[in-house]
Amino acid sequence: MTTAMYRIHGGDLERGGSASGELKQMLKKVGMDTAALRRTMISAYEAEMNVVIHAHHGEMRVVLGDGVLEVEVVDEGPGIPDIARAMIEGYSTAPPAARELGFGAGLGLPNIKKSSDALNIQSTVGKGTCVHFTIRFAPQVAGVHGRVSLRVVVELCRQCLRCVHACATAAVRVRDGVPHVLEHLCFDCCECIAACGPRALTMDGVDADGPRGAGEVVVVPPALLVQFGPAAGAHDGAAALAALGFGEVRVTVGWERALREAVCDYARSKPGNGPVISPVCPAVVNLIEIRFASLLGRLAPFVSPVEAAVRGLAGRDALAVAVCPAMQGVLAAPRGRPGVRVVAAPPVVSAMARRVGEGGEGDAIAAEGTPGSASAGVLRVSGVRHVVAALEALENGQLGDAEVLEPWACEHGCFGSPLLPQDGAVARWRWERTGGGFEAPGEAVRREEPFQPRRGMRLDDDMAAAIAKLGEIDRLTRRLPGRDCGLCGAPTCQALAEDVVLGRAAETACMYRTTEQEPAK
Amino acid sequence: MTPCEIAEAIGARVLNPEVPIQACIDAVYAGDRMSDLLSHASPTTLAVTNLASHQLMRAAALMDVPAICLLHGVEPAPEVVAAAGEHGTAVLVSPLGMFETCGRIYAQLSRERQAGK
Repeated sequence: MTTAMYRIHGGDLERGGSASGELKQMLKKVGMDTAALRRTMISAYEAEMNVVIHAHHGEMRVVLGDGVLEVEVVDEGPGIPDIARAMIEGYSTAPPAARELGFGAGLGLPNIKKSSDALNIQSTVGKGTCVHFTIRFAPQVAGVHGRVSLRVVVELCRQCLRCVHACATAAVRVRDGVPHVLEHLCFDCCECIAACGPRALTMDGVDADGPRGAGEVVVVPPALLVQFGPAAGAHDGAAALAALGFGEVRVTVGWERALREAVCDYARSKPGNGPVISPVCPAVVNLIEIRFASLLGRLAPFVSPVEAAVRGLAGRDALAVAVCPAMQGVLAAPRGRPGVRVVAAPPVVSAMARRVGEGGEGDAIAAEGTPGSASAGVLRVSGVRHVVAALEALENGQLGDAEVLEPWACEHGCFGSPLLPQDGAVARWRWERTGGGFEAPGEAVRREEPFQPRRGMRLDDDMAAAIAKLGEIDRLTRRLPGRDCGLCGAPTCQALAEDVVLGRAAETACMYRTTEQEPAK
Repeated sequence: MTPCEIAEAIGARVLNPEVPIQACIDAVYAGDRMSDLLSHASPTTLAVTNLASHQLMRAAALMDVPAICLLHGVEPAPEVVAAAGEHGTAVLVSPLGMFETCGRIYAQLSRERQAGK
C-alpha cells in the first residue's frame, strides 16, 4: 500500500487540476490500466475543481492498494447543505466566474458517481466537505523473463563505473568490485561493452578458437567482411573465409533487404495506424519487450535477417557468426536451427585477419549502402540513445510522418558493434565502396510466436507488493543525496533505492549517506 | 483523420503546428460544459468549444484529448497555447461558429467513414 497527498488551492482557477495531474503521473508508474485511469481522472478532476471553485483550500489524499485506489478530497469551505440535491444532474451553486469557464453545469458529483465504483460524501455546512471515491482496477499480467548473452570477466574489472552509467535501462551494477547485470532489465545491446575499457564486459565465446571450415556454409553480417584495413575490401574478407575452409559465404545483406521490403509492404497493408517498427535488430526487439510494451503491436511480425538467413540452412552443416550478444541470443534460442553452430565474431575476425590477402585480391564493387534505402518513408535510427528517443517519440504519437521505423541498437547498425575492431562509420563506408555483389536473394521469414512483454521494470509480480515497494523506493530516494554519482555501484540514487527495497543492496552502500548528517525532514 | 487534416479540410488554423499529433480523430465533443467534455473525452476525440482557457487545456491533458478546436476566430492567450503545446494538445481555431464548424467536421468524418468501407 502506498499513500500520497496533494494540496489544492481554493479559488486558484489557474492551477486547478494540478493535483489530478500529479496523481496521473503516479498511477502511470504503477501501470494502472487505461480504462481505470480514465475513470480516476474524471473523478479526481471533478472533485478537485469543486474545491477550487467552492472552498478555501483542500487536500487530495490517495491510498493505492492491491487493485483498489481510494481517493479522498477534503476541504475547508462552505459545505453542502443538501447532498441529495447536489447529486441531481443540473443542480449547481457555482459562481458566474466558474460558469464562464465551463464549470457549474451541475454534473460534477454525478460524474464522479458514474465514473467511480463507490462514492461517499460527508459535509458540514460552514466547515467543509469530504468526497471519498473508490476505483477498482485490474492488475497487469506478468510478462516473461529476458535472456541475456552478455558475459562478465570478473578479473578484468577495474571498477571504473563507466558501464553503470552507460546502460540505457539502468541494468548494470558494480558491487563488491564485480559488475552485475540485472537480467530482467538487460536487452543485450552493446553499450556497456563499448564503455568498458579493460574488456571485462563482453559476449560468450569471444576467446574460443578461431573456426576452421570444412566446406560448410558460413552466415555473416556484412560488417564482418570489412574489418581488415584500407587494403582489404569486402571481397578480400570473403576470400579470407574461403581460405579458412568455408564452402559458401552467405552475407545477410540480401535478407536485410528482403525484410525491409516485407516490412514496407506490411506497413502499407495497415495504413493510418502510424509507423510500423522493423524487427531488424534483435536488441531493439528486446528493448521494446522490456520497456516499450505499448509498442509491441507496432513490431512487424518477422524474424531478424540473420535468423531468416540461417533458417534456410536447416539440416545443412553451417556456422553463423554473431557480432553482438543479442544476435547470439536469437541464434542460440530454442527456435534457432539445429545443426547451425553459432560463434562469436572476435575469434573469427582474428582467424580471418591472418588469411586476408592469401586468396589473391578481391574486386572492389560498390554496394548500395547497407542498410540500403528502399523507401523514403523508412526512418532509420541507430545508436541506443537515438533509438530510445525515437521509441519515446513514437509512444507519444510524434512520428506520424514515418511509415516504417528501422531501429538499430549500435551506431551505423551492425557495423558499429564494439566487438568488431573497425570503427562503425569507417566499416560502413568501406562496405558501401566494396560490398557489391553479395546480394544473394534473401527472403523475409514470418515470426511464428508473438512478441511478448517482459517483466522489465515491474517491481513485483504481485501488484499490491509492487505498489508498496514503489512507496518505499520513493521515500528512500528522497533520503539519498540525489547526486547520481554511481559510487554505490548503481547509476542513480533512485536505482540504489530500488536495489535496497528489492534486497539487492544495503542503504549503507551510499557513501554520502554514511558520512553526512541525516537531512532534516 | 488527424487534427491537422481536419483543420485543412474545414478552413481552421492550427495555432501550434509544431506539436506533432498523429491521433486519428473518430469522435467529436462539441460544447462548453467541462463535465460533459470529461465524460465524453477519449484519446481520439476532438473537442470543439468556445472555452479558450487554461482549465480546458488541463482537462484535455488529463483526459489525453489530442486536439481542441476553438470557434469564431477567437485565439486564446499565447500562454494558453503554450500550455497546450506542453501537454501535446493541438489547438485549432475555426473562423466559423459552433454550428458551421461542427457541420463541416461531420461532413469530413462521414466522407472518410464511407471511403474506408
